[in-house]
Amino acid sequence: MFDFSIITRWIDQLLRGVMPDAAATVVECVLIGLALLLGYAVIALALIYVERKVCAWFQCRLGPNRVGPFGLLQSVADMIKMLIKEIIEIKHVDKFLFGLAPYIVIIASVTAFACLPFGRGLQVLDFNVGIFFLIAVSSIGIVGILLAGWASNNKYSLIGAMRSGAQMISYELSIGLSILTMVVLSGTLQVSGIVEGQVDGWYLFKGHLPAVIAFVVYLVAGTAETNRGPFDLPEADSELTAGYHTEYSGMHFGFFYLAEYLNMFIVAGVAATLFLGGWMPLHVPGWAGFNEVMDYIPSIAWFFGKVGVMIFVIMWFKWTFPRLRIDQLLRLEWKYLLPINLLNLLLMVIVVVYKLHF
Amino acid sequence: MLKDKIAARIPTVRVEEGAALPTFVAEPGDYRALARLLRDDAETPFDYLVCLTGVDRGDTLGVVLLLESTGSGQRVFVQTGVAERERPVLPTVSDLWETANLNEREVYDYLGIRFAGHPDMRRLFLRNDWVGYPLRKDYKIDGAVNPVPLESDESPDVTTVYREDGSEETRALFDETDYVVNIGPQHPATHGVLRFRTALEGEIVKKVDVHCGYIHRGIEKMSESLAYPQILALTDRLDYLAAHQHRHALCLCLEEALQLEVPERVKYIRTIMDELNRLSSHLLFWSTLCMDLGALTAFFYGFRDREKVLDILEETTGGRLIQHYNVIGGVSADIHPNFTRRIKEFIRYLPPMLKEYDRVFTGNVIAQERMKGVGVLSREDAISFGVTGPSGRASGWACDVRKRRPYGVYDRVDFDEILFTEGDSFHRYLVRLKEIEESLHILEQLVDNIPPGEFAVKTKPVIKLPEGRFFKSVEGSRGEFGVYIESRGEKTPYRLKFRSTSFPLVSVVPHLARGSKIADLIAIGGTLDYIVPDIDR
Amino acid sequence: MKNYIVHFIRGLWSLLVGMYTTLRVFFRKKTTERYPENRKQLVMFDRFRGELVLLHDEQNHHGCIACGICETNCPNGTIRLTSEMVTDEAGKKKKVLVEYQYDHGSCIFCQLCVRTCPQRTLAFIPTFEHAVFTREKLVHKLNREGSSVAPKPVAGSSITA
Repeated sequence: MFDFSIITRWIDQLLRGVMPDAAATVVECVLIGLALLLGYAVIALALIYVERKVCAWFQCRLGPNRVGPFGLLQSVADMIKMLIKEIIEIKHVDKFLFGLAPYIVIIASVTAFACLPFGRGLQVLDFNVGIFFLIAVSSIGIVGILLAGWASNNKYSLIGAMRSGAQMISYELSIGLSILTMVVLSGTLQVSGIVEGQVDGWYLFKGHLPAVIAFVVYLVAGTAETNRGPFDLPEADSELTAGYHTEYSGMHFGFFYLAEYLNMFIVAGVAATLFLGGWMPLHVPGWAGFNEVMDYIPSIAWFFGKVGVMIFVIMWFKWTFPRLRIDQLLRLEWKYLLPINLLNLLLMVIVVVYKLHF
Repeated sequence: MLKDKIAARIPTVRVEEGAALPTFVAEPGDYRALARLLRDDAETPFDYLVCLTGVDRGDTLGVVLLLESTGSGQRVFVQTGVAERERPVLPTVSDLWETANLNEREVYDYLGIRFAGHPDMRRLFLRNDWVGYPLRKDYKIDGAVNPVPLESDESPDVTTVYREDGSEETRALFDETDYVVNIGPQHPATHGVLRFRTALEGEIVKKVDVHCGYIHRGIEKMSESLAYPQILALTDRLDYLAAHQHRHALCLCLEEALQLEVPERVKYIRTIMDELNRLSSHLLFWSTLCMDLGALTAFFYGFRDREKVLDILEETTGGRLIQHYNVIGGVSADIHPNFTRRIKEFIRYLPPMLKEYDRVFTGNVIAQERMKGVGVLSREDAISFGVTGPSGRASGWACDVRKRRPYGVYDRVDFDEILFTEGDSFHRYLVRLKEIEESLHILEQLVDNIPPGEFAVKTKPVIKLPEGRFFKSVEGSRGEFGVYIESRGEKTPYRLKFRSTSFPLVSVVPHLARGSKIADLIAIGGTLDYIVPDIDR
Repeated sequence: MKNYIVHFIRGLWSLLVGMYTTLRVFFRKKTTERYPENRKQLVMFDRFRGELVLLHDEQNHHGCIACGICETNCPNGTIRLTSEMVTDEAGKKKKVLVEYQYDHGSCIFCQLCVRTCPQRTLAFIPTFEHAVFTREKLVHKLNREGSSVAPKPVAGSSITA
């Protein structure tokens, strides 16, 4: 199977050959940053298109079909529109915080994005507490959302931000616990280590019952974490018009929009990494021929394929269910998901201690 | 008996007979006593205020109440008036019937009658800086007095209470510390330009102040200068989802006044059209409620199926929403040859889709949790607020005009009046879903039995109504829609009032929403299913 | 505890049923109308009220006798008739239509003009692409250039609008 670290190492050696080490590091950082941002933007555009198509198909519509073949250029056109739109200045807002909020959201999202293993050897940040770091940075985004709501000088925005705060803090628990459950199984916090551990079967199968429960809990909590329907209370359009980003316009709004889609990608990516083997092909122990064939499919295709399936499921949630009310949302977390999660963690510990997993 | 009772207790009350319903005329001083007597009557308590109309009779400014005793179905008019025109004062009845609250504000807005004891005497539809009272007969339409304003209308935070002794008191609408949020006028969940000033405590609604009038067109005022056939065109524009039913009500009222007998065929066609209208309205209700609760996909399913009803309507009437089909003495054109075939196709098409609706939304645990036990309206409150239609029936009030005062051919078809006793949002929702099935059932019985004959009778080119007062109501998609006409024998009505179906529905929102969450306010509004043009008129 | 579990499972089941239903729709035929590509196939119902026309026959005759009944019946002041008195060969004075002005923008399609026209020379046609850039363009002159009133009333069948 092709290892992307060959390319990165080659670039590294090339750079070090023509310039001092320190300069080479700077150039590499810039290159990686550019590549990340480019990937981020492209994935966001693709996701926006996919969401619109998927949503349309669920609703017996065709979706975008005017700009380009099958409307493929629709989200590009939208991006251009967003970029050239005026950023409206709002009276009586805290200008500094108002301007800062979208950047906090986008920075948190890009940093978490950098932790994902896209393919064999294709990972920007990989160190011994990788998955822990990912959770930590992704939850910085909430600060941006709270700031946006607070600084907007808008009552709708403030309610949206408050809802968002209550929701994210609650569901962070479930996300953390379900990830912890999988960490118990894998025995490592390093993202690459987690993926390598699934070479002889994905954790979803290896961990059987507790892994499946953790998977479902993670999906629900992850959907809530990204503020997507049916947990889109912070921006509930029929109640709060647009919640915390009501007052934002132009590219400031665009940042929230991008971050929402990329957060969905990140949640799906983490789910794919933890439960479905990340970029690891589908291997069945004993079936050497089958495994061989699977290995021919590039690792990056495996990763994006799995993420795609997860994203479809998350979209499926959104386009099927009505929205919860704030008390129901919190009840779901504290009365259902959290106890289930704690029991499940215990179950997983038992499974691992007695080696009941595959 | 009622007359004797009243004569014994309040001898000054005059009884006018002759019209279809008896009218009790009271002096302003006895008006409240008479109203109280009628409401608290032991045998036939008149607990339902159908319609409250303000009339300028030239010599007096007054109101006409149409009261119904829900037990026996008996109806009476109560009339009073004051000669004073500068500062006319009448006692309020808003403490006897809750629905009088907004209705008296409407009368104050139109005629300037101050209701002593009314807790909140503000203008309702017109701007606060409006000069004059437009429904007074001496009102002059003058662009110099009331120019088209280009600034927004400041909503005052205070209201006035008038007392019997002529004194006034100013009251604040909200506390100093209230967190007041405007829900509307431009808001996705108000289904039009309606504004709720909502005082919040965190997520909890403390008080709702309804602000109407954003699409007030003065249809009642316009009607006073239009001939009857021309007024017909305006009824379609009240509740656009019940256009045909509303026009039906006006046609029935005029035909009754003119003593015009319409052919059987017309009755059948009108009944079928009414039910098609109800189907399209309830399907739209389902769609928009789902959207309000965040299930956008379901919204499209409802619209997909409603399209088929609209096609049937359009093929025969030429209009999708605004049909302009009923005319005085019949309908404007015979049914299209494809009409019955399409209806039969639709009767086969919809039931599987209804099952799908149940799977996507009705059975969904989130939807149920969102609606069950939310915004509970008791039967007594439903009657007092005049909440008719599906919303009233969800509270256990059998108020279906089709059953109680049959018109068209409703007395000849078999259908159930859907009644629940819970009165919460979920049952308001269920009533409408079940009524869709009942409407299909009615259509099934009628579609093959349309008798041959004329589709309209000839009428005179100029229609003049005989002198008198006439009231006729039909079961609109969201309640009892009534037309009250006071005629002085001319070709235009002296006073024409529409008993709006949505007006009571919106007046009950503050009552239902108090203490619930913001999301519940949306669910309550969605399940009450009011239509803003019908409120504002 | 039992309630808790039953409620949980039932809730979960209802969610799955919902997801199954939407997924079935996902693969169903879509209902989107592809206008303007389907312009050729798109036929409105013949009773659809698109705009008002004055019916003309092949000889460019219309039936309007400029009586003004439509004008007085219109609730919205949509129709404006201009007429003049001419003396024909026989020396009789006759009212003749000069211009039949119809403001499409304020028409409420109530059909009172069509229903009350004594000559049956008005009709609604099912056209629907009426969007224009200014309101002035919505004011149409319904009598064609050089048209004149027919010697006999035009039959409703010769619609050449």
